[in-house]
Amino acid sequence: MSTPAERLAALDAAARGPEREGAILLALEDEALTVRDRAIRLAARYVEPAVLGALVADGEHAVRRNAGLSALERQGPYAVPHLTVMLGASDPELVMFALQSLARIGYPPAGRSILPLLHHADPNVAQSAIEAVGQLRTREAVPALLKLVEGELWLQLAAINALGAIGAAEAVTPLLALVPDSVLAEPAVQALRTIAAPESLEPLLRVLPAVRERALRDPLLLAVAVVIDFHPDPVPLLARAGPELAASAEFVAYLAQALAALPAAGDMDGEGDSLQRAAATLAVAAGIEALEPDLLARLATDADAIWLEGVFHRFPDALAAHRPRLLGHPDPDVRGGVLRAARFEEHELPELYEHLEDTHSRVRAAACYAMGRLELDSTAPLLVERLRRGDRAEQAAAAQALGRLSADALTDLESCLRADADETVLMLALEVLSTCPVPAFEPRVLQLAEDRRPAVRRAGLRAAARVTGARADVLLLRALADRDQATQVDALELMVARGGEKSVAVLVAMLGTSDSLRFHVIRALGQCRAQAGATRLRDLLPQCAPHEQLQIVAALIRIAPPWIGTFLRERLGDSEVEMRRMAAQGLADLAEEHELPVLLPLAEDADWNIRNEVARGLGRLARPVTRQVLLALARDVEPVVAATARAALERLQPEAIRIPA
Amino acid sequence: MTGFDQAELKLLTDLIQERFGLMFNGIRMEILESRLRPRLRELRLTTLRDYYHYLRFHPDREAEFARLPAMVTNNETYFFRETHQFDLLIHHVIPERRALLRDRPLRLLSAGCSSGEEPYSLSIALHNAGLPLAGMSWEIDACDLNPERIARAHEALYAESSLRACDAEARRRYFTQEAGGFRLKQKYREKVRCFPSNLLAPNGALGWAIYDAILCRNLLIYFSEDAFAAAIGLFARSLAPGGYLFLGHSESLLDRKTSFAPAMLGGAVVYRKLEAA
Repeated sequence: MSTPAERLAALDAAARGPEREGAILLALEDEALTVRDRAIRLAARYVEPAVLGALVADGEHAVRRNAGLSALERQGPYAVPHLTVMLGASDPELVMFALQSLARIGYPPAGRSILPLLHHADPNVAQSAIEAVGQLRTREAVPALLKLVEGELWLQLAAINALGAIGAAEAVTPLLALVPDSVLAEPAVQALRTIAAPESLEPLLRVLPAVRERALRDPLLLAVAVVIDFHPDPVPLLARAGPELAASAEFVAYLAQALAALPAAGDMDGEGDSLQRAAATLAVAAGIEALEPDLLARLATDADAIWLEGVFHRFPDALAAHRPRLLGHPDPDVRGGVLRAARFEEHELPELYEHLEDTHSRVRAAACYAMGRLELDSTAPLLVERLRRGDRAEQAAAAQALGRLSADALTDLESCLRADADETVLMLALEVLSTCPVPAFEPRVLQLAEDRRPAVRRAGLRAAARVTGARADVLLLRALADRDQATQVDALELMVARGGEKSVAVLVAMLGTSDSLRFHVIRALGQCRAQAGATRLRDLLPQCAPHEQLQIVAALIRIAPPWIGTFLRERLGDSEVEMRRMAAQGLADLAEEHELPVLLPLAEDADWNIRNEVARGLGRLARPVTRQVLLALARDVEPVVAATARAALERLQPEAIRIPA
Repeated sequence: MTGFDQAELKLLTDLIQERFGLMFNGIRMEILESRLRPRLRELRLTTLRDYYHYLRFHPDREAEFARLPAMVTNNETYFFRETHQFDLLIHHVIPERRALLRDRPLRLLSAGCSSGEEPYSLSIALHNAGLPLAGMSWEIDACDLNPERIARAHEALYAESSLRACDAEARRRYFTQEAGGFRLKQKYREKVRCFPSNLLAPNGALGWAIYDAILCRNLLIYFSEDAFAAAIGLFARSLAPGGYLFLGHSESLLDRKTSFAPAMLGGAVVYRKLEAA
């Protein structure tokens, strides 16, 4: 008896010869999973759906039937006509297989052919049909599904899920009727969450506090939060519902529990995390005051809770009403949280100044942050003071705030740029100037860009890159030869960001060197999309090492000079497969319709990556004439290629399914 | 689901599989991605294809390949994990091979040893079994793909998590508590030789027909079919005739044509190298 590895090798060899189909079909029954998997890939590519359909129809051999089904599914849209024919089979099991495969293939036009099966006499077939129209999001199925919601329990559940998957707003009323007192309440809530119709918010808010069982209450809370997220104007409704929700101690305690819940181990879909967010959204939007301190303290202390700031900003009214009291809260984290979450106006600046004197540095830093959001030049002196004398958190917040002010306001930064300034202060001041350049400080910035300390030098270069004029150009140019390689590459990136003909000219001149920096220079020219460097790059190609050659082709693809098509076609003949792949990538990015004759033959290339690029390129061009090639690529033995081809097919106008004779 | 381009990810994972035999899917793919992103930023590369080209062609590619194992492996383990196989070694394998061990030390290999928890646990088990008193000596070779893990094994300084299966008495007996954690006592580190090695490298550092037993547990599950076969071939070459191979619970040589025969020891399946192989 041969080993799986030997049988695998024999299969691969046979797949290249005239006995291919027979060998593949035989291998579909192999006892080793690795051999069967390979056979399924090959069957998807080389065996017609009708032949595979016959394997599925033959219920005698379960392994072969499953393998045939997997191969059919892998064929994607190519197998859809045959699977559609299978829907008319007399064997209910076969029809179910076809329905499940169509659902998994996910080709939307297939949904219409499933409609007659929604009321099939065999409840299992009907259930599979309902599930399939849900997965295919077939809107035409909605009227029938609404009727099924009122039908027998077995099909009700499937119909509810399908209506949710389709996002049928017309299902909101019948679904709400099932909540809370029905065995179908939970799936109905799940469906309402997926549909997220604005009109469901009010009834859901009514039901939520009345339901006590966590198994239903948690999904309800999630549904409410999703509906709030998608609602165009939920505030009036929430303002009305808020006092009643806040008055229920039991409900507030539930929300507090949900906020404290950590995602369970193995909670792969992040439902625990979602529940926290849902509870926070409702608490903030409905203005449940008792929960605000905890939420604000979390915002102030937990870097992962930055999303809370967005929630408070979206629903600012309640916090605004409670702000004076919360700013006087004994917990400094609550005070810090309010300063980050609340909106302040110019006339409220004195209130912020007070918090700059708070005994806790996190509160002082939050006050700087709040001042920055106001973008008022008058705050500059105080912020500079914090930058100079504050602790690390305050310094960083002050620098960030200063970066939002106008250049005219930043004259006080002078004290931070002096030679005797602390290194941290100096670097933060330079960061401010790299965001907001100040002409008066340009000489000092240019000086610091040559500082002996690498970190200061790099910060100086970032600021210098914002200075106009030849001196900054020279500095950046000099930094390309800095003794510190990180500074060299920084300088290169800054030159790219600075742009302009001069930068390109410098970069092109640097192509003459052959040190390690040239690799980055080539990339930089590509990032600049420097037409002026294109010819030089092309001419350099034969003299370069392979890693540079690939970067040259990548850069030229970005630059896209007029001769790029010819250049890439030449590279397709290269002996190095990576060069051919790169050329195919370029053609996929740039080829126009008249270049299809170059691209299409590559769909048969032996290299999977080149076939993948063809599929990508055809998807970009989205021309119906390429459908047959894409259908073949959608059956590719390599799943990545098949997936790219399927995505490309989705960009073509769906074609009516042609039933085979 | 991944944030990287799937085709580019395949280019890279195929290369890693070719070089180290490791396969990626599910959670391991996510770990790989989370470690690659910062590395790409450090190298100032934009896409995975850039990184793939770097590994294939850049003059510094060998240095990068040397770093890669630390990024692509996650062999978190601990002392005294699954010690049942140590008992089998002590109570079945050593008595069976006692005649051979009169003139030479017992030779063991811990393949995929991570930061040394397995070979050092084995060393402790051999001490506790009274081998020194019986006048028997041993040598434990321990290898891992990841040089950083091997460096940690040399240091033998462990965090609390590595001692999760050690009670207070075990901690006191085998370790000395220091500021940075728990350091294994010197006597258990002697006779253990940890070294980096790629089991798939053509000129690996393993000896020829020298080991009495090889432990390779919960490593081969990450190997591709070809890499699995290559590693088993290497173990067959490195084991002395009649030597034993211990695999993890979910790894098996059944249904494979190899130089090993399954054997039941103490109710567990282990693999014995055929005398003629």
